[in-house]
Formats: sequence, structure tokens, C-alpha cells
Amino acid sequence: MANSLTRFWGQGSLQKHVVQTGLRGFSSQQNPEVEEEEEFRVLSLRTVKQQFQKRREVKKDPVTPPRSNRMAVDQDWTAAWPGPRSFHPASVPLPLRQGFTERGAAAPSKFANAELMKIPNFLHLTPPAIRQQCEALKKFCTPWPKGLETEAKWQRHFPVEVITTDYLQALPTIRNPEARRVTVSLKLSDLKFDAHARDKFLRLVGDRYDKDTDILTFVTDRCPLRKQNYDYALYLLTACYHESFVTEPWEATKSEADMEVYLFGRNKSKLSAEEILNWNAAEGAPKVEPSPSYGQSVEQLINEGENEYNLTKYKEEVKKMLNIASQ
Amino acid sequence: MKMIRNRLAVQLQRHVLQMSMSTNAAAAAAPAEGAAISEFRTAVTNPGEHSALQVAKFYTIPAEQKKQIFAGGGLPKQYEQQIKTFTEACLMVRNPALEVLEYIKKADLSKPVVRYLLYGENGTGKTLTMAHVLHYGALNDFLLVHVPWAPNWMKRPKEASNAAGQEGMIDLPFDAAAWLVHFKGQNSKLLQRLELKTSKEYVWSKRESTPAGSTLLELVEHGIARIKYASETTAALISELKLLSTAGKCKVMVAIDGYNAFFHPVTRIFSDNKQRVTPDKITLTHPFLNITRYDWTNGVCILSVDKIAMTEGHMDSYMPRYLLGTEGFEHLDPFVPIHVENYSDKEFHSYISYYLDRHWINKTPQGFEEQLKFMSNKNPYALMQLVRAL
Repeated sequence: MANSLTRFWGQGSLQKHVVQTGLRGFSSQQNPEVEEEEEFRVLSLRTVKQQFQKRREVKKDPVTPPRSNRMAVDQDWTAAWPGPRSFHPASVPLPLRQGFTERGAAAPSKFANAELMKIPNFLHLTPPAIRQQCEALKKFCTPWPKGLETEAKWQRHFPVEVITTDYLQALPTIRNPEARRVTVSLKLSDLKFDAHARDKFLRLVGDRYDKDTDILTFVTDRCPLRKQNYDYALYLLTACYHESFVTEPWEATKSEADMEVYLFGRNKSKLSAEEILNWNAAEGAPKVEPSPSYGQSVEQLINEGENEYNLTKYKEEVKKMLNIASQ
Repeated sequence: MKMIRNRLAVQLQRHVLQMSMSTNAAAAAAPAEGAAISEFRTAVTNPGEHSALQVAKFYTIPAEQKKQIFAGGGLPKQYEQQIKTFTEACLMVRNPALEVLEYIKKADLSKPVVRYLLYGENGTGKTLTMAHVLHYGALNDFLLVHVPWAPNWMKRPKEASNAAGQEGMIDLPFDAAAWLVHFKGQNSKLLQRLELKTSKEYVWSKRESTPAGSTLLELVEHGIARIKYASETTAALISELKLLSTAGKCKVMVAIDGYNAFFHPVTRIFSDNKQRVTPDKITLTHPFLNITRYDWTNGVCILSVDKIAMTEGHMDSYMPRYLLGTEGFEHLDPFVPIHVENYSDKEFHSYISYYLDRHWINKTPQGFEEQLKFMSNKNPYALMQLVRAL
């Protein structure tokens, strides 16, 4: 304020002298040379310690250009990316883009792109890499046995499939309890059954049999060792198979309600058909049996359920059996 | 103006003439008229002479025959109304009926009876197919054992009482008597002519009995007069019929509509302890199950299974084994299933022509036939319902 006043007064021409003399006692630091300079001076009444210390600059390393720039076109990629690893933009010399931006704009580039890092990549499993590894493994392999060239052939010679798992781990012990588990599977069509034995076998094995694929599977893990579990699985298979051929006395009491399928031979339909066919037959005359195709049509009608096709077939068979004139 | 009035008068006259002719129901007049008028009618009124030539054509059942066969039921109620409205009992000759007739005509009657089972969707004409066959039977000296609608007994009996002789059984005396009346109405002429005799004495009570050697007509009349014993009389009559026809003294045609009602899980009849009884606890069920067995000769069985014979929860399919159930299927097997289907195009067109001829359809805008075909899906019953308003 005082300074501005003095400036004001100093610019005044007429009364300059008078005022200057009047104010001199107040402004002690006033000197006439400063008047000439353009800098705006600050009146500081108290001497404050001036802190114009410069902030320390953080020294950053210069960003190196991505490694991919320096990669040769014919480099060995398996060396550049030897194993499974999440995506790294500087190591992959491909102009990849992924992600969502606003409409019309290009997708984000590979640098600092989390989307590319999230997804699994197979950059370590390129065909040359696989070929290389196979070549490396080849020296440990034995030649494929002769006579087992096709799948049909080896399935015929080795119908039973045994699956076990070995575990490698960095622990004080090399044992893994999961390694004891044994899975034995085979196609049911490879076993020979009669109708009763097959039915009983399927009841014994329960849900270990898959109807759609015709595959029977035993999984055993109740013994502590793999060998024991394997023996147990084979024992189960053998025991079930032989047990299924045994007919217990109580099995004869199986009634119609217990039947899982309709069988023409053990039902009233057969009796009716026989009686009709042998109507008024002489004593001792050979018995006329209903034709097997009629029996099949009845079984089909009941087991497969009714539809126009099955019913028409049944009708044709009945007409044939009863000698009814067809139109 | 004058001309139009003239034409109107002529048309009116023709109407009156037609009406009077058909109400007179001169059997000779109807075919003559049919032959003159149109291609959708046939003059062949004897179902025995129907063949593939007459398919989709209408034939007229003479009024007195209609009265004899269908007085006690046998035609659907609404069809009956239509007959009354059109003043003529016309039936269309359709394939399922022709098929059954063909089988019956060629059948060897010395063999055990063949059971023909009509099945099909609701309203496709199972009952009318049966009516057609019944007409054939009546004209060809078959004794008709005809149950117009079996579920009536299970669903709305007139009266239910405990059966006298049999423990736990239910009698439907009025329904049994009504059935006897129906039987007598259909067969009285033939019964008089054949003079069939009972084989053994039937003792109804201490004082009442029907001696051996009395005619079947007497047996029936006793049942009608003594309603209390109507159910037992029915059973006796049917076992007698089986014996007589096996002996070759008569031919029997069994026609039961809604046959699957006999195998329905429950009925609407309550026993003394307020529980619903099953059909096999009803005395009337047994004779009709008995006569649909294969253990007799000289007869035919035409049965129909129907969705609406069942109650809710049992009406998912129209297929015979579903409707009959395991027990019913075993009872009937082997039977000849006959599918009654919706109209073919030809039959549909013929029916529309018939409705036009009867002036039942008055408004005929462009494409109305196509529209009806689409809306009814060519289902006979649906078509009948649709054209009511036209």
C-alpha cells in the first residue's frame, strides 16, 4: 500500500518534492534507483526465511524399446517363448489387438492390455515346438507293436482298459494317495452272456454300466496300494461275471410285476392266441403255435410303447394269424 | 321383380315338397330322389352292398329301421338332432366301416369270435362307424348285443343298490332293465322268428323262476317286468346267447361303445362304506366282459375305445392299449385295431355339399370351404359344431 502510494506520488510532478520529504521517515528502504526497475517488489515486514529449495527430480531410466523390435524374422521362436507363460507384449512380435472401445475406434493394442493377459495362450505349443519335443522324446520310445495298427485291432486284443495316474511333486514324500486309484473299463459286448446272466450281471453292477456307450467301469480305491486295487477290480469283474450265471432258487418266484420287459412267452396273450388257433382241434392233434412274428409285434407294441407304426404292425400280424381277409 | 318372386315361390314349393317326402319317409322315395339330385348320395341303402365305389357318399337309413336299431341310443345326441333337423337319417360311407364290413363278410364264423376295436381321436366318427356296422348286422340276421355308451353305467347310473346274491357287488337295476328294453327293441322280430330257448332253469327267488326251455323273449320280458332281477337276467341272457350261437342256432353281433369304461380304475358309484367301487364290482360289467371273450363262435365283436369314456387324468392318448390298460389289453388280445381318422378331402367336400343341399349352410362367401377345412382340421365333430352357426 505504502509502496503504491509512493509510486503514485512519485509520478506526480508538481508536489513531488513536498510529499517525498513528508514521507521519508516511514519508508526506510526506499531508494530512488529501484524506481527505475520494472520488477514488482514485495513489501515484507517480517523477514521470512525464503524456501525456494528445488524439488529433487526422480531419475527415471529411459524406457527401452520393446524386445520384439529387435527380433529377427527367422529367429527360433521356441527359444524366445520356451514354456507356458501369460502374454507379454514386448516378447511377441505380432500386431495383436483385443478389447472393446467405443464404436468405430480400433481395438486396444497389445501394450498394457489386460484382456490379452487374461486369456490362455498356446504360444509355447506352436507346431515347430511340438515337433522339436517329439523329436527329443523319440529316442525313449519303442516301435509300435505289429498287428495292432488300427483301433479295432488293438481293442480286440486288449479289451480291458486300465487307467492309473502317477503324481510328481516337491514334497518330503514321493507318495501321493491319489496314485492308488485304479479304473478298469471294458465293453460289455466283449463278455459272453445268456439272457438270464446278462440281466443278472447288469443288476449286480448297477450304475457301473453305461447303457449308451455299452461300457462297464470299475473304479477301485479301497486298498492302500495300486497293485491291490488293480487285483480287487479284476476280482470284482470275475466274481460278478461268474455269479451272474448262478440261478438261485428264489429267482423262480419272479412275477410279472417284477419283469423289466414284456415277454410274449410268459403272458396271457400267448395262451389266448394258442387257444384261438387250436379251437376245436382234435385230441392229440399237433398244437399250433402262434407265429414268432406275432409275438414280436406284441412285444414291440408293449415294450416300445404305442404308436401308429407298431399298432399297424400288430394289426397286420393279427390279421395274418386269424386269417382275416385283407382288403 | 315379378320373376324373382316367382322363383322364390317355386323354391318354397320345392322345400315343402321335400319336407313332406322325407317326413313320409317312403323308403323308395329317398333313393330315387338321391339318384336324381347329386353325386354325394348313393341309392344303395343296404350296407352289405357298400363298397369302395360308395366311399364318401351318403346313404339313407330307412326310418323304420332307424327306429328299430337306434331307438334306445347308438347315435350321438347331436347327430340325432341333426337327423331330426334334416328329416332324414343319412350316414356317410367311410373306410373304417367298409373295412369292418369286409372282414365280417369274409369271416369264418365257425372260428372263435374276432374282436374289432375302433379307436381314434375325439369326434372322428367311431360311434357312427359302429352304427353303420350295426345297420348291416340288423339287416343280416345278427342278434344285436349293443351297448350304446358303456360309461353311462359307471358315470351316471340311475340307481345303484347292493346285489342280492353276491357279496360286495353293486347292481344297476334300472340301467340293466333299460338295456334289456333296448335289446328287446332291436331284436324282438328276430327272436320271435328264431324261437331260441333257454338251456337251464333260472331261479330268481323262492317263488319266481324261468324254467328251462322258455324262450329268450320270455326271459327278457321277465327282466324288464322285475327290475330287481334285471342285472341277473342280463347275465343269464348273455350266457344263453353265447351257448346258442356256439351251437349255431343264431349269429350274434356285439357292439359296445366306450368299451374301455369297463377297465377304468374307478367309477362314480359309491359302496356302502362310501368308497368308490371299481367297475368289476358292478354286476353289469361281467356279462359284457364275458361276451367279449374269444371262447364262443358264430359272432362278431365291434368295440370302441374312447378318450371321453375315461375321466380326467386318464385321457392322454387315444391309443387302445393306453385306454384299455394292461388288464383290458390282455382280455382283448388278439384284436384287430381299426383306426377311425378325420375326413379325407373327398369326404370333407362331400359333407359340405350335403350341408349345402340341406340348406344348413346359407352363407357361401368366397373360399368358405377352405376356411372350414382349416378351422375344423377336417374333424367331423368340429365341422358339425362350426357349421351350426352358418
